[in-house]
Amino acid sequence: MSCTLLKSLVTCPADLTAGLQPCAPRYPHGCSPPHSSAQHRSILTEMEAPPVSVMPVTGGSINMMEYLLQGSVLDQALESLLHRLRGLCDNMEPETFTDHELVYLLKGQQGNPFILRARHSLSHPAAPWHLRYLGQPEVGDKSRHALVRNCLDVSASHSLPDVLNEMGFRMDHEFVANGHVFRRGALKVVVSKLSRVLVPGNTENTERLSLSYLVELSVLAPAGQDTVSEDMRSFAEQLKPLVHLEKIDPSKQRH
Amino acid sequence: MGVTCVCQVPVTEGKSVQQTVDVLHKKLEQLGAVKQGSFCVDCETYHATGNVTGQPTKLLYVMHNSETPLSCHALFEGGPCLTADGNFDVLMLKLKSHFQNAKAHKVECRGSRYRYCDFLIKVGTVTMSSSGRGISVEVEYCPCVVPGDCWNLMKEFMQTFLGSSVPEWPTVFTSKPEGLYAPADSVDTMNQYLELFNKLRKQPVPGSNVR
Repeated sequence: MSCTLLKSLVTCPADLTAGLQPCAPRYPHGCSPPHSSAQHRSILTEMEAPPVSVMPVTGGSINMMEYLLQGSVLDQALESLLHRLRGLCDNMEPETFTDHELVYLLKGQQGNPFILRARHSLSHPAAPWHLRYLGQPEVGDKSRHALVRNCLDVSASHSLPDVLNEMGFRMDHEFVANGHVFRRGALKVVVSKLSRVLVPGNTENTERLSLSYLVELSVLAPAGQDTVSEDMRSFAEQLKPLVHLEKIDPSKQRH
Repeated sequence: MGVTCVCQVPVTEGKSVQQTVDVLHKKLEQLGAVKQGSFCVDCETYHATGNVTGQPTKLLYVMHNSETPLSCHALFEGGPCLTADGNFDVLMLKLKSHFQNAKAHKVECRGSRYRYCDFLIKVGTVTMSSSGRGISVEVEYCPCVVPGDCWNLMKEFMQTFLGSSVPEWPTVFTSKPEGLYAPADSVDTMNQYLELFNKLRKQPVPGSNVR
């Protein structure tokens, strides 16, 4: 399952609004602009050219990896887990979220279909959509404690589902996730309840998938940082016996 | 960001692309416009592989504008348009086997950026595989976001330096109801550039005086 939309917790390399300029004051048409120096100065600063040398870097960007541990708790145990997490994690306002995620597949001529996850917040409808690509889990050191896979995050505008359809992607399934988010340094803990969407596109009418909450501990880090999984394991130890977080390989799940 | 109009300026008879651009720069400077650096708009074309034969291949255009350096626009001609961050380019690299980049079709428009009071004027040379194909002029009237309200003013301003090459009402505006131009995501500007690039792609390479 992918991370939440909350930008403070996802290391998003760019802000969708960063390239935008603030709105210029509106002059009533037909009137010449007033010569107020303050207003004129504000327009002048907004009209400054962004440096052309700062063009987006294509290809050559840092490969980010997602390190993941998952577990679950029954509904009855949620409060004690939240209490423990509030104690262990960074002190911040309790963050709850309600997200709607759509999983898209692109079937190619050969090989596995290409999977993309598009997620948007139902509690903040104006926020941008979040598109996520997750690669195959890295097969390597069996003793590595967390699941490691290549991760690419893209912020996108609200036309994302239309553009994905036009590109040939077809929605495979969708669900609604709501719950809590906690953070401890670079570690992120998401405790969420997943619900099935009964009528495609209608997020009001949902049905809970299970009587438990999914708990995910994840870190986004550049490739090659192996100390990350050690930190995750020691944090996971502190959550026992409330929840057992382990490395679950999605490709080994039986369908 | 305000109402923006992108148009093509024909190369003057007997002159090269560069010479025509220089004449435009001179006219703007005589008007009193101040040069404020440079700009670049580029467009890459991707076509979907593995399409069922008989169906026309859809072309995906991925465009960048130096005005919004951290954003990237993905457009289908006449179809939906996406504004995303720089990682979308990296995603297209990962989609290499499904979407092929037609590298020979990359179009770039580079030039100088001028400011005259509330207007931003960008005069650029459109190049495709390093051959100059034409000249583009983008005029933006920053204080206004409703095309109907400022079109006459913009047209009058463009006449002072474009003379008879003033464009007609851009087609992107016709689909808009009396209301906002939606400049915040610069989709309309990118659509206008795409129209211009596609038009120039189909035109023969201008004369022998190509720089």
